[in-house]
Amino acid sequence: MLKVLIEKELKSILQSPKFVATFGVCSLLILLSVFIGINEYRSSVAQYETASNWVDQQIAEATSFRNLPTKVYRKPDPMQIFVSGVNFDIGRLSEISVEQDIKLEQSAYSDDPIFAVFRSIDFTFIVQVVLSLFAIVFTYDAINGERESGTLKLVLSNPIARGQYLFAKLAGSWLGLTIPLLIPILIGLLLLIVYGIPMTATSWLKVGTLIGVSILYFTFFIALGLLVSALTRNSAVSFLLLLVVWITLVLIVPRGAVMAAGQLVAVPTVAEIESQKDRYRADAQGELRTTRNLRYQSMMEPAQGLAESDRRAFYAANIDLYTEESNRLQAEMEIVIEQNNRRVNENLRNAKAEQERLAFLLSRVSPASAYQLTAMNLGGTNTSMKNRIEDQMVDYRATYNAYVARKWQQEQDEQAALLAEQRRGGGAAGGYTYAGSGNQAIDSSDMPQFTASQESVAEVIQASILDFGLLAIFTFIAFACAFLAFIRYDVR
Amino acid sequence: MSQAASSSSTSQSSSQAPEVYSGPRLEAVNLSKRYEDGALALDKVSFKVNPGEIYAMLGGNGAGKTTTINLFLNFIEPSEGEARIDGIVAHKDPLAAKQKLAYVSENVMLYPNFTAIQNLDFFAKLGGKTDYSKDDYRAVLLRVGLQEAAHNKRLKGFSKGMRQKCGIAIAILKDAPAILLDEPTSGLDPSAGREFIRLLTDLRSEGKAILMSTHDIFRAKEVADTIGIMNQGVLVMERAAADLKGENLEKLYVQYMAGHAGSEQNVETIN
Amino acid sequence: MFKIILDKELKEIIGTTKFAITFGVCAVLILLAFYVGARSYQSSMEGYNASVTENMRQMEGVTDWANIDHRIILPPQPLAALVSGVSNDIGRTVNMDVRGELRPEGSRFNEDPIFAVFRFLDLEFIFAIVLSLFAILFGYDAINGEKERGTLALSFANSIPRDQYILGKIVGSFLALIIPLMIPILIGCLMLPLLGVPMNADSWLRLGMVILTGTLYFGVFLTLSVFISTLTQRSSTSFLILVVAWIFAVLIIPRTSVLAAGRIVDVASVDEIDFEKGKYSAQLFNENMAAMQSWTQQNYQSDHRLMMEGMQAFRTEQQDLQDENMRLFVEQLNEQRANSSNLRTKVAFSLARISPTASFSLAASDLAFTSMELRASYQEAASAYQQEFAAFMRSKNVDFGGEAYVGHGAPVVVEEPEPIDTRELPLFAYEQPPASEAINDSLPDLGLLFMFNAFFFAGAFVRFNRYDVR
Repeated sequence: MLKVLIEKELKSILQSPKFVATFGVCSLLILLSVFIGINEYRSSVAQYETASNWVDQQIAEATSFRNLPTKVYRKPDPMQIFVSGVNFDIGRLSEISVEQDIKLEQSAYSDDPIFAVFRSIDFTFIVQVVLSLFAIVFTYDAINGERESGTLKLVLSNPIARGQYLFAKLAGSWLGLTIPLLIPILIGLLLLIVYGIPMTATSWLKVGTLIGVSILYFTFFIALGLLVSALTRNSAVSFLLLLVVWITLVLIVPRGAVMAAGQLVAVPTVAEIESQKDRYRADAQGELRTTRNLRYQSMMEPAQGLAESDRRAFYAANIDLYTEESNRLQAEMEIVIEQNNRRVNENLRNAKAEQERLAFLLSRVSPASAYQLTAMNLGGTNTSMKNRIEDQMVDYRATYNAYVARKWQQEQDEQAALLAEQRRGGGAAGGYTYAGSGNQAIDSSDMPQFTASQESVAEVIQASILDFGLLAIFTFIAFACAFLAFIRYDVR
Repeated sequence: MSQAASSSSTSQSSSQAPEVYSGPRLEAVNLSKRYEDGALALDKVSFKVNPGEIYAMLGGNGAGKTTTINLFLNFIEPSEGEARIDGIVAHKDPLAAKQKLAYVSENVMLYPNFTAIQNLDFFAKLGGKTDYSKDDYRAVLLRVGLQEAAHNKRLKGFSKGMRQKCGIAIAILKDAPAILLDEPTSGLDPSAGREFIRLLTDLRSEGKAILMSTHDIFRAKEVADTIGIMNQGVLVMERAAADLKGENLEKLYVQYMAGHAGSEQNVETIN
Repeated sequence: MFKIILDKELKEIIGTTKFAITFGVCAVLILLAFYVGARSYQSSMEGYNASVTENMRQMEGVTDWANIDHRIILPPQPLAALVSGVSNDIGRTVNMDVRGELRPEGSRFNEDPIFAVFRFLDLEFIFAIVLSLFAILFGYDAINGEKERGTLALSFANSIPRDQYILGKIVGSFLALIIPLMIPILIGCLMLPLLGVPMNADSWLRLGMVILTGTLYFGVFLTLSVFISTLTQRSSTSFLILVVAWIFAVLIIPRTSVLAAGRIVDVASVDEIDFEKGKYSAQLFNENMAAMQSWTQQNYQSDHRLMMEGMQAFRTEQQDLQDENMRLFVEQLNEQRANSSNLRTKVAFSLARISPTASFSLAASDLAFTSMELRASYQEAASAYQQEFAAFMRSKNVDFGGEAYVGHGAPVVVEEPEPIDTRELPLFAYEQPPASEAINDSLPDLGLLFMFNAFFFAGAFVRFNRYDVR
């Protein structure tokens, strides 16, 4: 019996103009989004490669390790094709140097704000906005529309359990939406292979999970449509109600929640953070200056009152010791400053995390945000993307700085040896070499490379499980309520 | 009726309880319905419809005819009394009861995007008849008077009469022992009406018990075995059609509707 | 006759629960948008002030102008809170240097990606998305719904000219919807100065124009709905068509046309440009080095002092030449990129304007001065300030020619020099161009919206004259 009902639902949906519209719009949009995504991805890879080659070349041509600053770039991830998230909003690169903190800069949108005017279109957006709207268009008159046309009475004059009937409605609409989703996205995945986008096993798993979550997401809206349709007598009323609910859930709640959290949890501004850091640095530097001066004075104390030539001799004998001491102090200070910076950053992050937690907690009232959050977690383009990449860059910076410092020391030693040899050899012709033109390019083949670590499958699952569960609960509740409402529905 | 239909009806009867039911097909016992707003729509109505009998309920708007049919279908539950189909109480075992019922509603729209055949196919399957062929559907549609050319057209463009014919075809296909008809002739032109009467007598001769509600006194008189007149939820008169042969049913009807049966004067004043 | 229909239309719409619900939702949203907008303006203003103060504070105690680290910051636009445009995407801070390129950094969305996730709920969003749906909801069954209910035939059983009927229908529903919506909008406008958003005549004019544009945009969707409803027999069909049209106009066409323009017009990426610049700079550096080397070979002098002086003079000369070459090269590259980028913008926006939503968004952001113009104008202001800043620094005898000589050896203990007086620094005051300019920019879009209105209106008119009212 269930089969007959589902078959009829499917037939009725497949023949309806709604389905034709949905199928057409979804196929067009999904394919378009994948196509655009692939192109965006390829051009960001090209950009990434140009940039990193340039950095490599600069390093290869560098003639000294002394304070060799560099840049690292965020490598594009193919998942951005499906979930752009904050990918275009956060910076693409960071400077790596001894003095500066890691800070992602130059977002794609700030480079080319034209793309920010209307924002991007990706698979997630299409599912979140377009498919949910179609789910409502499919189901708003599921029950009351059949009542209006008199078929509900006719159907229920047969020995059909109401639960069965409702389930058939759900299944029919579900298939009617799953087909327009699956066919184009599968073609889209083929496109990925054709274009040779480097997808790892984890990426495939992520895409698969994303499609699963997408289906679960619109199932909620189908169940919601059934619920409202079973609560109202008139299909025009149910559509109006559903549209209001849809606007609220999809467009208002997510934005409202973030803005509310922004008002409720105060996060220090960038200026405040910088002020804290700089004050600390200035204090530490002042202290260092004083200590150094004291050290210098106390070390050079014995030279007081000596004759000019003796003083020079004493100075020459002790200056290395002082320099060493001074460098040690400097290094210690840098460590302390670094620790403070970390602490300040940590505090900022905690405040932001607090804000974010509240924002997402509030916004999860809406399945649309639960869906978007899972999608972004899966795509790795969520709000913690910036922190995650900055953390990796901070680690890299430490390795890099240690490497450069070691190499610089080595270079100095070599130069000193060379100089000594030159002195012994009686000096170069002319006696002048222009500073910095030691034309020998450095050997940087053993330089540590920045590689962003990939998330493991377990992490992927962990990141999406909460919202996945939440969506499942939303859907279940909506369907259960629809069931209760339909059991008591007056079919006349 | 095709062979397939009759064979499935035998299989249906074999699946029933071994003890053959011999009482009335449709039976209303003290059937009452009071709505939540307090209005009494049906007040202790009792009647029986036997196999091979057509029972016509006459009455004005709001007399309780549709309520009675809805109670047999368990679309609403009675406040008191029972509606029985082959002895099965409708509100206690609705699914079993509905197996024995076919229903034609007033003004059914059916599925506008389906063709006539598709609509028939769906409802036949719902009624448990899975082994009909396209030819069976065509035969039934021809039997109810729907021209061959319309069989594969979507119902969107159908007139009210054509939709009604499909509705009756659906009821015939279900081949249930009892048929409920809610204002079946409303919106039919005179020739279609005549055709419909012919169909009903055919069904009666097949042994169906038919309960129909109607305002159409003439058709009722023409076809019914028993006529009940309802007014404000009360069955005010029930007579065998044979008894009414010589009487002026129109006059009787108007009298009962006014609630003053037997008073000629009142009939006059109403007129 | 027109008056009767107008009157009926007003009563029919305003009396329904449908209207009560949608109006309630929109009123709440509009007020919320104004409130949140004002609050977020306040907090951006606080952030801006803190950054400016912090910049000054960092310079305190510095004794040499050569060591200052000066930044300029773009102040928030008062209307950005209502029409955010690209104001959160563009960099707002520029590290000032006497020479070289300036690049605004630190966009709000980069600093706080959480706000980028769902973006903002601003007035422009409510007009573009919520109110357009609202218009469809009240217009989709304007004609075919009346037919389904049988009231159309009943109405035309009287002697009513069709043109008056359709005119009354459109004008009536437009007035019935837009007049109530003006109430929360006006309340919201009054809230702005109370919530501390500095509104001058210029800003009021801008805001007024934004609302006018919004009204026109609302009209487009209403007339479109009536038009579609005269084209179809059943209200469910017209609704489906309108929902699909809405999805395309609001969500798809604007985004796709920008992305398509990105494909059609090839614009070198920022990194490619940087690469070119870096390559050229390296080349210049090598040439410079070679020149220095050959100079030292050729002009060898035994007098160390003379030798060093000559070398210094030559070095400065070379440096200036190198700077000039670099400047020309960078200018040329930037201009190329700017040209192709402008072409891309033109293509993108021309395509996008197929959709009235794009016209509305572009006009609104032009009017609120949060369009791409904002970035260009800021960049210009920053460059102008750079000249001023450079002149000032020269007056303080700061030489930035090449790398400063880093001395090794003992720190020289000298008397603490006088700290600089940061108040001497020229102030960066960003002024947005007058409203008249923005209005000029938005006129084509306003005209386009008007054309859409006229077109759909005419369409509905013509179709209805031939409509089968049975």
